[in-house]
Formats: sequence, structure tokens, C-alpha cells
Amino acid sequence: MIDPDAELVRNAGAGDQRAAEALVRRHLPKMVGVARRMLNDGAEAEDVAQEVFLRVWREAPRWKPGQAKFETWMHRVALNLCYDRLRRRREKTDPDAGVMVADARPLASEEWFARQRAAKVNAALAALPERQRAAIALVHFDEMSNIAAAEILEISVEALESLLARGRRALKAALADVAQDLLGGAEDRAP
Amino acid sequence: MDRERFASLLDAYGAEFRRWPAETRADAAAFAAQDAEAAALMADARRLDAVLDAARETVAPSSDLAGRILAFAPRVLRPAFDRRAMLALAACAVFGVVIGYGGGLMAPPPLEDDTYFSMAFEAPLMFEDEG
Repeated sequence: MIDPDAELVRNAGAGDQRAAEALVRRHLPKMVGVARRMLNDGAEAEDVAQEVFLRVWREAPRWKPGQAKFETWMHRVALNLCYDRLRRRREKTDPDAGVMVADARPLASEEWFARQRAAKVNAALAALPERQRAAIALVHFDEMSNIAAAEILEISVEALESLLARGRRALKAALADVAQDLLGGAEDRAP
Repeated sequence: MDRERFASLLDAYGAEFRRWPAETRADAAAFAAQDAEAAALMADARRLDAVLDAARETVAPSSDLAGRILAFAPRVLRPAFDRRAMLALAACAVFGVVIGYGGGLMAPPPLEDDTYFSMAFEAPLMFEDEG
């Protein structure tokens, strides 16, 4: 198995700043993206991404390629940090936790509708069980292969497909009105 | 591929074959092209894909996040002296040794005959005797 990050990780671990910068450029958006899908909170997602990289810097000097790809390991760390935060949220039972606050600035109507739709989809995703949410974040939004996603979640491909199917079924039921609004609106606008 | 397998993959991965397992894509496309009900099943899955994609916002991370992360990246410890200064110092030491040793070799050999020295001390005594 060839790990495309192996050389960068080795060099970053030895103190090469350019290698560290390249790792950040390559993986930071993905880490923030998956944490945002899991937590539905931009600031918390950035905290998670920062924590992931602190662990990367700690592990890089002794990283040995072989078992999992470095990116797989990073995703596992990110997801575990998200699960921890979600667990703490449940313990606090803060009703506002993880709810994106709508921007108060006036928006053009089309943009406003788009944001409303995105907020509804994010809320529906946030209501899914964590593992289903993670599976959909990895396969639908990050467009990872089934094998890579199953490896990150440490499950079989069959189990991944089951999580995806259950998640998509729940989303379909929760978002029927958004589908109607989105596709109905598109049809209305069609010439 | 039969309809049951096609429907279960569609349930999991949605209507875009690029998200399907690589080994199933060609069979799935062939099945969709020849099965009468496949089009309806795909339209349903495509609707959910479109809804999910409505939330695909590309929010860039904060501009200072990468800098905050890189501030903690491993660094090579700088030596107390600059490497070039250390080399220059070593070169000076070698040069000094060479010059010292070489200079010694080039100097005239010491005189074997010490008559002049003896005479230098003996001469005043000789003059005293004469006086």
C-alpha cells in the first residue's frame, strides 16, 4: 500500500516546515469539512481540526507507514474528537448546542432561501445517529471510496452500506419539504 | 446485476455512479440502461442527492487557522553557532597549524658551531687579562 503522505509526514516530523505546510494545505479543509458535518458548528469544527494537527505533529516523528494510510488515521482522530464533543453536548443537554445561528444580515431572496435549505439539511444531518452521519459525511460529501470510508469507520463495506442506506432513508423522510421546495422551485424557474 | 442489488446500492450510494464501488459501476450503468424501473428508482435517489448538495457549502477555514496550527509543527533545533561560522573557525585553526608547522620547516637550521657564542663570553676576559 503506497501512502501518498508518507514522505511529507516523515519530513514534517524531522522539522521540515515546507512539508508541514504541505500537509496542512492538503488536509486542513477536509478535517474542517468532516468536523463541520459532524458537529454542525464552524468554530468547534476548527477547534477539532487544530487538535487533529497537534496530534499529527506529535505522531509524525515516530510515524511508521504500513498499517493504515495517514489520511485514514487523521479522519479517525477527527471523528473520535467529534464523538467526544457530541457526548459532552448530550451530557450538558444544551438545547442550542450545535445549532447554526442564522446570519442576521439582509440577503437577496435567492441566497436567503439557499441558506434556509442548507440549514434544514444540516439540522437533519445533525439529527442522525453519529455513525450514519459520519458515513454520509465521508461518502456523499467527501466522496471517499467505500473501502476508504469503511476503513476509517473500522467496519466492513456491508456495514457501511447499511449505515448509508439507513441514513439516507431518514434524511429522505426528514427533508421531503426541502426536496419539494428545491425541485419545485427549479421547475418553476425553468423556461 | 439484478434489480434487488441495484436498488440496495442506490439506497446506499445515491444516483451518482462515481460514488458507487468501482467494481459495480459498469454493471450498474448497463442495468440502468435496460431496466424499465431503474429510471424511476434513480430519479428518487437523485432528488435526495440534490437536497444534500444544497447543503454543500464550501466555507473556507479561518485565514489564521493554518498559521496557528503551523506554529506548533516540529522544528529543527538551531545550533548555538551558525554552521558557516563553525566552518570558518575550523578553517582558521587548520590554517594556523599549517602556517606554524610550515614556517618552522622553512626557518634556517640552527648553527652547529657555537664558537661565536663561546667567544662572545670569553672575549671580555681576554681583554681584562691584557689590561
